[in-house]
Amino acid sequence: MKTYLLYQDREWLDTKPYFDEKSIIQDLGLRILYMMAAREVIVEGGNVKAISMPDTFIEETVKTVMMVPLETEEEIRYRQQVLRDSLENPEFTIGLYDISCEVLKKWDEMGRKDKQKVGQKDPVSNLVGDIHLMELFCDGLTRIKALFQEYEGKLMSPGYKELKKRLEEIFTDEVQESLQQILKDISFYGEGMTVDEVTGNKLIMRPDMELECTLGEGFKLEGFKLESLTSKVMKYRSPASTISKVQTFINSRVPDSIQIPEDTLLKDESYQLDWGIVRHVMNYCSAFMFRFQKFFDHLHFQTAFYRGAVNLADHYKRFELEYCYPKVSDKGTLRFTELKEVVMAMEQRILPVGNTCDMEDVMLLIVTGANQGGKSTFLRSVGIAQVLMQCGLMVTAKSFESGIFPSLFTHFTRREDSAMNSGRLDEELGRMNQIVEHLGERSLVLLNESFATTTEKEGSVIAYDIIKALNEAGVKVLTVTHLLSFAQRMYDEAAKGQGVEFFSAQRLPDGSRTFKMIQHEPELTSFGLDLYERIVLAKQD
Amino acid sequence: MAFESILDLHRSSYKDELRPSFYVDFNVDQIIDKICKNWGENISSFYYYLPADKESEDYRREVMADVKIVSLNEVLMSFVRKMKQHQEIINKKEFVRRDIQKAAWHISEVMQYGEALQELLGALQEADIRSQGMISLKESLETYLASEEFKTMYQTAGELQQERNSYHFKVKYSNNQVVVSEGEIAGTYDKFLKDNLTEPEKPMKSPFVENADLVSLEMLIIEILQKKKPELFKNTLAFYEKYKDYAKEVYLQLGKELPYYLAFYKYEEKMQKKGFAFTAPTVDETQDMFATGLYDLALAYVNSEEDKEVTTNDVVYHAGETFIVLTGPNQGGKTTFARSLGQMMYFTKMGLDVPAMAANVHYFNKILTHFTVEESVETGRGKLQEELVRLKPMMNEEGTNDFVIINELFTTAANYDAIIMGQRVLQHFIGQNSKGIYVTHLKELTEAHESVVSMRAMLDEQGKQNHKIVRKEAEDIACAINQVNKYRLKYEQLKERLS
Repeated sequence: MKTYLLYQDREWLDTKPYFDEKSIIQDLGLRILYMMAAREVIVEGGNVKAISMPDTFIEETVKTVMMVPLETEEEIRYRQQVLRDSLENPEFTIGLYDISCEVLKKWDEMGRKDKQKVGQKDPVSNLVGDIHLMELFCDGLTRIKALFQEYEGKLMSPGYKELKKRLEEIFTDEVQESLQQILKDISFYGEGMTVDEVTGNKLIMRPDMELECTLGEGFKLEGFKLESLTSKVMKYRSPASTISKVQTFINSRVPDSIQIPEDTLLKDESYQLDWGIVRHVMNYCSAFMFRFQKFFDHLHFQTAFYRGAVNLADHYKRFELEYCYPKVSDKGTLRFTELKEVVMAMEQRILPVGNTCDMEDVMLLIVTGANQGGKSTFLRSVGIAQVLMQCGLMVTAKSFESGIFPSLFTHFTRREDSAMNSGRLDEELGRMNQIVEHLGERSLVLLNESFATTTEKEGSVIAYDIIKALNEAGVKVLTVTHLLSFAQRMYDEAAKGQGVEFFSAQRLPDGSRTFKMIQHEPELTSFGLDLYERIVLAKQD
Repeated sequence: MAFESILDLHRSSYKDELRPSFYVDFNVDQIIDKICKNWGENISSFYYYLPADKESEDYRREVMADVKIVSLNEVLMSFVRKMKQHQEIINKKEFVRRDIQKAAWHISEVMQYGEALQELLGALQEADIRSQGMISLKESLETYLASEEFKTMYQTAGELQQERNSYHFKVKYSNNQVVVSEGEIAGTYDKFLKDNLTEPEKPMKSPFVENADLVSLEMLIIEILQKKKPELFKNTLAFYEKYKDYAKEVYLQLGKELPYYLAFYKYEEKMQKKGFAFTAPTVDETQDMFATGLYDLALAYVNSEEDKEVTTNDVVYHAGETFIVLTGPNQGGKTTFARSLGQMMYFTKMGLDVPAMAANVHYFNKILTHFTVEESVETGRGKLQEELVRLKPMMNEEGTNDFVIINELFTTAANYDAIIMGQRVLQHFIGQNSKGIYVTHLKELTEAHESVVSMRAMLDEQGKQNHKIVRKEAEDIACAINQVNKYRLKYEQLKERLS
């Protein structure tokens, strides 16, 4: 059965993650996001009481899903709708995830993994396992169906609504009853002797069945047709008892009959026949169950993502971060209000400055400006928002609008460890080469202080060549740079309407910073002097 | 002429001959391994003996052409499968203990045999067969299948089978007793399963199917049925007695021999899908012997696993030309070329298709080869001595008109000696009216005889080996240039790499 909670038309299979997901995670600091998604915020009386231990499955899942970009507006909308339902009905989301966890846990306890090793177990215990599995699936599906019915009318997303519909169509009440009936009919199998609590009698389950057969090759029996099958409870009597003897005598008077005494080869063969019939019945049931074999795995994985989102939303609230469902736009558009860098907010527990931006038809953004002015934070916040949007999650801004770039790359150099060293430049260029080699149709490249490992002059030339070429090839580039001669050269060349935009850190007339980015022509100083003055002069005071 | 075998006109004793050394030299053993994969162990031996004479070669070649008729090919495949199942039934019959069971299996055995032969004859009559082998097989089957003996037997078996199949009975199991009665039931529980779980119908497998023998419960049921319907069991036993030795050995053998053609053809089809050509060679002695697009099939198979192509070459022996002397740089494809030529000679001799675009191949009595081997440590002989020891019987053979393939002889001898010895060897074989190819690093051997042709492994413009073999005067090879080329260190090459 199809789960289809992450995509409208497919399960989570054969997914294509970002080419260099490791760099994206590292450069944007995404780890904190899936760590938080794995931890529940426990609230009591309106106050945060505790943060739970992480659910590692949720952590892995959110990480995995985050690293595979959605490719169309429809895909993003589909996931956002399921997300909205999940966040608005957190108890439902939690319930659904928990059921899938319980089913899989019990399945594991039943030796799911061992069974996959062919020939490990004898066929009889496999059959017993199948019967238990059928009980487990039956129970799990019944509970899921009930949960969906409880939230009837509250779930608006096509994802949840369609799943409910499919479940009701396949796992109908009639099917549910039939399966329970079958379990009863074959209950003679695998169950030993029980004792009646009231009478103290030993009870034994006996099969009762009628078959049709024909003679096959070599006069072997074949062409079996099953007419009836029931299990009946009988009082166990020793074969030596008088009643047993009378029964045996009566039986022996029946014409064309074969008596099957205990502890004989015939008895073993009659067990084989029992077993053959149970296997036959289970063939039908297994084929039915097979539809759900992967369903629980898919459900577990897919609900883990939304379960994680519920946690993440709680953390957003805890850090007083407003969030929105981002809007998909064309590739030249980047528009947001009060976008906040969520990783920094969670890691350093400070409320970051919100940035606002409104660009259309811009394929190259060059951010320059004062050190410690919030340039990198700005670039990261855009990158994080882009990743969150592309996996269907909510973005920490009042509004966010951008194009879809399944081919997303980050190329970050941390200033502090950028010693001038040809090996490092070589490594940097090597990474750039990798990016160029793997650029896709809709590519976005985030460059943070790239080519800072060489002189400004050389770095500027390299940056100019590469960025110019990327830009001309239709790749969207957002770059933070201290390479001012490069920035100046781009500014001089860029006539109005060339799709190039320049930002710098806002600096008030008194020299103080707001850490906000504003549209501004590049300046030939990165105002290191400011910093120097502020720190040095402060000391002198 | 009466049909004896699909492999030969007559069954003969040469089948016991040991396989010649060229199987390994040409990597034919590797090819045969691949051909026989999935066909069982027994069939590879068919590829390891050669037909006795030209007539037998032609006999096979004609059969091979018929095997390729699509409609017939399918039925031949089915026939082989059915005869294999027939053998499995025999095995079961031999395994079971009671006569009544043996008799029951015997019916299936006869039915399987009869069905297989009838289907085969039908296809033979439909298809436009041309080969002597297939035509005489068809005639033989026509006579046999129309005989009263066969007809009565097959019909009786069919009736007994029909009677058995249509006999329905019920088994009721409760209170530790099984009650048997005649008649049919509705299958109510099966219907419940099928409808309520919306599943397609799944027939129930017998729990006793693993055992060809009747289990005791089955036997007791049969005993009750024997009382209820005695004539079915009596007639079955009577049939078994009457037709104990019904099978004709020649048709049983056919089921085992047909895979010789079928396995090869399946392999050929598989390789063709990957883009490798095959052709049925013509054997016209009045025309030049030639091949175009010839390649090494063993190498092609290895390359195909890696999606690589294989170099093809053309070769021709004009009238009056006897030996090709092949020279050229190391790793230039000389041995591969010699092998591909050898494979062509072998497959032609076997009556099968050859790995080439087109080919005309003459008849030769034998294929003789001499390939260099590593120095033998065990015998302690020097390489030259070892080579001469192996060469001696080849040159002593009385035969004339052989095809001789020599790969790198006398490499450890002094040049002067090697040239003279090489020339003598060539002249010896030419004197015996043989043809062949001689791979060597000695360009002087191209002048050993007026009927010798020089061919050379070529390099491309950059001086790299391209494995092309063409008719060209032999020339000395500069080894240093090869080394430089190999590492692409020439000025132009470096420029190109760094641009």
